Amino acid sequence: MSLELETTKSEDFVSTDEISLLVIILDTNPGQRLLRENPQTLTQCVDSIIAFGNSHLMQKSQNKLAIMACHSKTSEFIYPGASKTLDIRQIDGQYEVFTLVERTIKTNLHKIIATENTILSNESLLAGALSMALCYIHRIQRNKPPGCKLNSRILVVTGSGDSAFQYMSYMNVFFTAQKQNVVIDVCALDQHLSLLQQGCDITNGLYLKIPQLQGLLQYLLWVFLPEPPIRPKLVLPPPVKVDYRAACFCHREMVDIGYVCSVCLSIFCKFSPICTTCHTVFKMPGPLAVKSKKKKMKL
Amino acid sequence: MADNGLSSSQQVNNVLIQPSNLECKNLYDYLTTRPQNVLERLYNHPTICLAVYRELPELARQYVIRILFVEQPVPQAVVASWGHQAFSKEHVYVSKVLSNLFVWQEASIPGGLPGWILSTTFKRNLKIALLGGGKPWSMSSALDPDNKARDITFLDAYSAERWECVLHYMVGSQQQEGISADAVRILLHAGLMKRDEDDGSPVITRQGFQFLLLDRQAQVWHFVLQYLDTVEQRGLDLAECLTFLFQLSFSTLGKDYSTEGMNQRLLVFLQHLREFGLVYQRKRKAGRFYPTRLALNITSSQSKGVHVLEDVPKGYIVVETNYRVYAYTDSNLQVALLGLFTDLLYRFPNVVVGILTRDSIRQALRGGITAEQIIGYLTQHAHSQMLQNESNHALPPTVVDQIKLWELERNRLVYSDGVLYSQFLSQADFNVLREYAQSSGYLIWSNKEKRTMVVNKSGHDDVKKFWKRYSKGN
Repeated sequence: MSLELETTKSEDFVSTDEISLLVIILDTNPGQRLLRENPQTLTQCVDSIIAFGNSHLMQKSQNKLAIMACHSKTSEFIYPGASKTLDIRQIDGQYEVFTLVERTIKTNLHKIIATENTILSNESLLAGALSMALCYIHRIQRNKPPGCKLNSRILVVTGSGDSAFQYMSYMNVFFTAQKQNVVIDVCALDQHLSLLQQGCDITNGLYLKIPQLQGLLQYLLWVFLPEPPIRPKLVLPPPVKVDYRAACFCHREMVDIGYVCSVCLSIFCKFSPICTTCHTVFKMPGPLAVKSKKKKMKL
Repeated sequence: MADNGLSSSQQVNNVLIQPSNLECKNLYDYLTTRPQNVLERLYNHPTICLAVYRELPELARQYVIRILFVEQPVPQAVVASWGHQAFSKEHVYVSKVLSNLFVWQEASIPGGLPGWILSTTFKRNLKIALLGGGKPWSMSSALDPDNKARDITFLDAYSAERWECVLHYMVGSQQQEGISADAVRILLHAGLMKRDEDDGSPVITRQGFQFLLLDRQAQVWHFVLQYLDTVEQRGLDLAECLTFLFQLSFSTLGKDYSTEGMNQRLLVFLQHLREFGLVYQRKRKAGRFYPTRLALNITSSQSKGVHVLEDVPKGYIVVETNYRVYAYTDSNLQVALLGLFTDLLYRFPNVVVGILTRDSIRQALRGGITAEQIIGYLTQHAHSQMLQNESNHALPPTVVDQIKLWELERNRLVYSDGVLYSQFLSQADFNVLREYAQSSGYLIWSNKEKRTMVVNKSGHDDVKKFWKRYSKGN
């Protein structure tokens, strides 16, 4: 009753003392439409991603960052790189750690692009990259000292479309992520990605298709920088209705109504007598009802 | 009937019987006590902007980064709409913090709306720290590889030894070597030690004991703050020292840095830091130095409670639900600290066994140590075995609760400033005034028979005004 109301103490709003781990998956596949039309876009994207990654590191001294490049054939970690950390001395007023991030990413990305062969494929192995990211997160989780809390999330930045071809792997990744409490955020640069949007919905992540590429960094900072524990405090893009159509296992096409194997729940767009996933044999659908009626009549 | 004999007498009870506790400031508390022009000067350095940014509350960090690239002022209403309604209190608090630190200022937008704009100096230098540009920090000149390079284990051992030297000196382990007159002077200045009346030798104070219970990081920060207080008397520049300190705190462990280009004052400062173990230097004139773990992340205090991932804390205390404490240590210092609030039962070469009792805790509380500090100390040094269990608590919750209850036992009285109203002429007057005070939430205490009531201080003016209106009306 006698407490003074005006003085709100800082303890009232305890900030979460969790370490935040962010894995960014950047689609660098040169086959995607954006990069085919205007290769300079990649530079802009990489710059934005670096600034965004550094802003994440800037939030807390313990925050962790990992960045992956995803291609049509491989996915690789470009930060922290596999090789020995570079010996960086400051050249300007930038924080040493940030300079290190920038240099490492640029060097490693350069290496990857140099080894890329010329045959272009417009599909990136996003599902594979996602599973690598999950493994990485799992490793960090296991190695952390007892008693320290860690929240982790994955941000996918891509300009390519999502093909139903990777449907199975996507779903496996999404549900694993959900089980591991990893949030998947998706930032679509070019096309709407319905499969990845499902993943965001499953893991409580955010999905955003950015209206214009110029403001990429601002979009990233506004929407994707807040770590999951403080997201409830901010007004962020509301979840839209998610298209939960599944892709069939036979032709990888999105279907509204299809056939489902009663044993393994695989989805098919056409009836097949043997399930291709679990090899269960089904009878051909025939006029069963008529037969049984006849039998009853005889008895 | 302007004055019907009602008298209000000021109840003076500023003299709270609180023991003078160790006041631990974090960076925010420290900076808000500096005047604006000093802050502006400090914000000229990217390092300080970075440190201040990290010290901001979470929501404030998001606000700052959102308007970092915006050149015009942003309407206050817009900023308020970024947060959820349910957290509007937090928004108010956060805006106050940002204004207090002069990170943002009020600015009017054409159209008359009040808006916020980031301080230009702060904005420019935070951008430099984040994206590059500007001048390099003072200690980053290129160096030839050190042929006697020191690794991290060495630096850790070195800094621990140096720091423990100071702590040992405080508990009076009688060894005088290894600590300079300068360090002693800072300890005295900070009130952690005082001159004994009889022979003038420094002895540890109550605050000193509380200081010992803090975690290493908080100890260093507290100590450095006290040092900074005296820095100007030594002819050093505060801004310069702070900048250098933060540069150190943002450096990489196990890497050497150059002293080239540092002026004479900074070199003196460096020697002081070297003495406390914040930096390692082989020779005074070596031209290079290694920051140690003590200097890194100097502002992350206990409240953050998270150790850097690579930093594996070496705990040694096991607390059982039966209040027994086992400490695997042979250090006299740690045993002495434990002895502050436990009854020690046995002592073996590598382990000490004690028990937490009501008496032992109360003795510590009487000495001015708080329950929070005791729990903090036990948690922070908990044996890794204690951290393994699935629950989030390192200590058995029963023990934690009991320690808190033992503290609460001592705090049965709550003091609040108030104003006494008495000598009402009629019961009706009294009732009206009491009714008013109660409905506005000012009333602390009242007695119908004696017609006296106590109103809290902030409500006094209101109640007085109401009384004047009321008695005029009659």
